[in-house]
Order: sequence, then structure tokens, then C-alpha cells
Amino acid sequence: MNLEDLRKDIDGLDARILALLNERMEKAILTRRFKDALADPGREAAVIEKVRRQSRCLIDPEFSTGLYRSIIEQSKALQAKGLRTIGFQGEHGAYSEMAARSWGPDAAAIPCREFVDVFDAVESGLFDFGIVPVENTLGGLVGPVNSILVYTGLRIVAAVDMGISHCLLAVPGSDHREIRTVISHSQALAQCRRFLARNKLDPEPFYDTAGAARELSQTRAKGTAAIASRFAAELYDLEIIKEAIQDSENNRTRFFVLARDGAASQEGSKGSAVFSAEGDKAGALYGVLEIFARRGINLTRIESVPDKPGDYAIFIDFEGSRGDARVVEALAEAQRTARDFRLLGFYDEARV
Amino acid sequence: MKNLKLSASRPDGARTVIDVGGVKLGGDFVVIAGPCSVESEEQTLRTAEAVAAAGAKMLRGGAFKPRTSPYAFQGLGLKGLKILEKARRETGLPVVTEVVDTRDVSWVGEYADVLQIGARNMQNFSLLREAGRSGKPILLKRGMHSTLEEWLNCAEYILAEGNGQVFLCERGIRTFETYTRNTLDLSMVPAVKAESHLPVFVDPSHGTGILGMIEPMSLAAVAAGADGLEIEVHCDPSSALSDKDQQLTPAAFALLMDKLRRLRAFMGELG
Repeated sequence: MNLEDLRKDIDGLDARILALLNERMEKAILTRRFKDALADPGREAAVIEKVRRQSRCLIDPEFSTGLYRSIIEQSKALQAKGLRTIGFQGEHGAYSEMAARSWGPDAAAIPCREFVDVFDAVESGLFDFGIVPVENTLGGLVGPVNSILVYTGLRIVAAVDMGISHCLLAVPGSDHREIRTVISHSQALAQCRRFLARNKLDPEPFYDTAGAARELSQTRAKGTAAIASRFAAELYDLEIIKEAIQDSENNRTRFFVLARDGAASQEGSKGSAVFSAEGDKAGALYGVLEIFARRGINLTRIESVPDKPGDYAIFIDFEGSRGDARVVEALAEAQRTARDFRLLGFYDEARV
Repeated sequence: MKNLKLSASRPDGARTVIDVGGVKLGGDFVVIAGPCSVESEEQTLRTAEAVAAAGAKMLRGGAFKPRTSPYAFQGLGLKGLKILEKARRETGLPVVTEVVDTRDVSWVGEYADVLQIGARNMQNFSLLREAGRSGKPILLKRGMHSTLEEWLNCAEYILAEGNGQVFLCERGIRTFETYTRNTLDLSMVPAVKAESHLPVFVDPSHGTGILGMIEPMSLAAVAAGADGLEIEVHCDPSSALSDKDQQLTPAAFALLMDKLRRLRAFMGELG
């Protein structure tokens, strides 16, 4: 081990310390939901005391408690800002987080393990918003998300249609010609299948694109690269070997931003609804389509998702606002005739 | 010539035309121009813009340099490829760049539109095979000690991999003459046309190595019937990291392009 190796290790540790610090700040922002006053002297004293007790080896208690006092000050400053929070599935650097940032650059994007965790946390009031991918031009419907959308009580308050550009990322300074294995989410790997084949790279599925980038930045595994966003490369300090490696240029994902009913504006030029089709499916579908067609309301999406065995939930997106009389009439009529017809929300859609 | 199963002239006289992003090699007269080496983003972009404005249809630039001395500038590698990709994005010119190592072939193919096999690697058979398998158009330069038959056999290696997109470039050979860097063998232009259906280009920069000879030999190549030229141009030749003495300034290149246009018009009248 030489100076260069040691410094590389230190750089890696710094990246992890900062990532942990960021996670601590996220938790701190969320505690604001559960307490009335910003300052909680009892809790602060307990934290400092715990830090003092846990300081060992080279960590001088004076140093660590001083450090923590400044961390607590920064936490309170962040809490005082009253940042909006938006949950996304995946790790920091995920495409969902990019979409969240394009929708609300000043909101705090908070990672969740599963899609259902995003919905639950918004429903419980822990997060103000959630963002989820609903469909991709290459991969089709994001099944797990649409299955939850069928029953959710949340409202769609915005949509983001985002171009997906996958990048091949490697540890800085490594020789790209020695890459043999590429880790990423199976969908990203599938979207770059021809690129991987051309360069004789073995795909290895990982649960998340950004997670793969983080894993690579920490393990620095030899001969390994990750597929993730340019944003993940910056976040995890990886070198972009090649941008836009997806086989098809037309790779876009559509995201919905969700909030509790009444928590955000329902202004917008687009609407979404869901209803159930069982038994006479053709009749159920035709009945609803006819209601919209008769009033000249354009439908921009019709998708069916398997629901209970033999049943389908049908999603429709339409053009029109809630102030539009034709839309109001159509929705009222659909509610009377279609089974379980529910409006999911009115919103504006941004293309980025 | 024996054993030229795929490169020999076809009975019906049909000639290969390679479409590279709308540029028709072997169809239109094409000038490929750019710096010997990619040295920096600024140098490459400035040169690329200048050659595009003067009428070049493709950009050249070396990211991997086969240098005589191991201590000479070896090229920027991957960083150079990224710069070339940016130059293509900004000028719209397809990019030709040399590949010197089989391990680089697929990666260079991700960035460049045409892979160049240089004179020193003309008979590097594993490199030829790998380049053939890449499916990319290949610019095969003539080895400095090679006969026409050897040259066409090397093209055959690429064609035999199922890659029909090969074009040739005469760049001078070693003779007892030392006045010029190489002896530019323009007789190869009609010779290739007689023996093969592949397009043939001429590189007067390496062919002579003398600045003042680039223009007359370019004009002579056109008169001989070359399908195109590959010319080194640098936005500031005096500061170049390689081939300082044979890179044209953008102004000299623009004057040459004008003369080429007039000569080609006259050649058209000759029929």
C-alpha cells in the first residue's frame, strides 16, 4: 500500500461519510412532521451524550461532540426551511430522482426501497409528494406501479415525460478495455443489449441502476462497470466511458407525481382516471370510450392492467381541465355507468 | 491476381459505394480532413469547424497514434474519442480515426463512423479480422512496403469477415528516394480501379511529408481519378504535437479545396 492507495481509500471513505450525512439530514427533515417546535433541547443533549460515549480510539470526545453540535445546527437550519419532500423508489442517482428534481428543483428527494413504500409514505403524511414511473417507451407499463395506482387514494398532481440516456460508468483511472462485467437494473441492461454484445460485456442484474453505480464506487471491483444516469456518475464520482449507450434513441419514461387528495393543486390540461372491466369487457371499454368520443375529448393513453383473476383495471388519460364543462359531464356520466370509475387527478405534463 | 475472391473487379464493372451518414464514398468525391492527432478539445473543434467550412465531408483525427518512437506523443485515447464525438456533434462531419490495437476496435467503433487501419498495421491480420467483425466502414491504408496484391489481400481479410465496407488509401511507399517522406505512388489509383471494385483515396500529407507538395499532389491525385483525399489540417500547425511539417493551415486548405473544385469541373468537361 502506497500513498496513492491510501488517498484513494480516504476519498472513498469521504464519499461514504457525506452520503451518510445526507441520509441523516433527510431523516432530520422528516422528524419535523412529528414535533411542534424546531428545537428539542432534551433530544439534542441525548445525542451529544451518546456521541461522547461512543467516541473511541482516535476520536477525541471534544472533537466529535463539536462536530455533532454543528451537524445539529445544520439539521435545524434545514428543518426551518420547510422544504417540500418527495419520495422516489431506488437510491440516490436514480432516474426517478432526476425526474423529481426536474419537477421540483428545491424539493428534498428521499429514497425508498420499494414502490409501495413511496405510496405509503405519502398516504401517511411522512412525505409531501411521491414520484413513480408508470410507463417506458421500450419496456412498456411499469406493472407494480400501475397495480398500486388502481387502488391508491392519492391524486396525480403532475407528470414528467423524461428522455432516458444510459451511461457506461467505470472507476476513474481504470482501463475501460478491461471491463468484462456490467451491473445494472435488468431493464437498463435489456435496453443496452446490443451495446453490451458489441463490446463483449457480460450483463449482471442488480436491483437498481443508481444502486449499481454506488456499489461500483464502493467496491471498486476490477473489470466491472455500471449502467446508470449521468447524474449517478456525478453523485458517485465515476467516469463516464460512453454516454447514450441504449440501443434505441427513443427511450423515454413517464412519471406521475402524487400527493394526498386536497394537498396540491388540481389545475392542469390533462386528466387520468381508472375503471374496472369484468364480464363484458368489450362493452365496458366501449361504454367509457364512447362517453369521451361523443364529447370530442381526446384520449392520450388507454392501458389495461390485470387486476383480480379475470378482471382488468383500465387506465385512461385524457386532454382537458377540471373547469371544462365537457370534461365534467363526461366524468359524471362515466361515474354513473362504468364500474369503479375513479378520477386520479388533473395535472400538467412536462417533457424533459 | 489470385485469391481475390471478394475484392477483385466484378464482371459487370459495378463499384462499391459506402454510405457513411449520407456521405457516399466511391460515389461522390470526398475530402477527409483534420488534424494528425487530437490534442485538445479546442484544437480539434477549431480545426473541424474550419475544414467543414472549406468543404471537407469527413473529419479525421488520431486518438491512438502509432508513433515511430515510444517516447513520442501516443494520443489521448478514450479522451480523444470523446472529443471527436463532440466535434461530430458540432459540425455534423462523420469521423474517421485510426485503431491500432484489437482491444480498442469495438470501443473506437462506438465513437467513430469509420475505422482507419494505418500503414504500419496494414498486415496486422488479427486487427484486420477484428475490424472486419466490427461491421464498421474501414479505411485501409497501404503499407509502406506493400505491393498492390498484398494490399488487396489485406482488404480481403476484412471482406471475408462479412464486412463489405472497405475503402483503400494510397499514402506513399519506401523507395531509395529520401527527399520526400515517402514516394507517393499515384499509379496505384488506376491500378486499384483496374483490379478492384473498392474505392481508392490518396493521402498527400503522409505521401510527401512536405507542405508545399500537398497541393500539387492532391491535384495530381484527382487527375488520376482518386475517389477522394485524406489531408492533414491543423488550426495552428506550428504548435502541433505530431506531423508538424505536413499539416496545412485552414487558409491553405480552403485555397486547395477551391482549386480541387475547379479541377473537378474541368475533369467533368473532359468526360
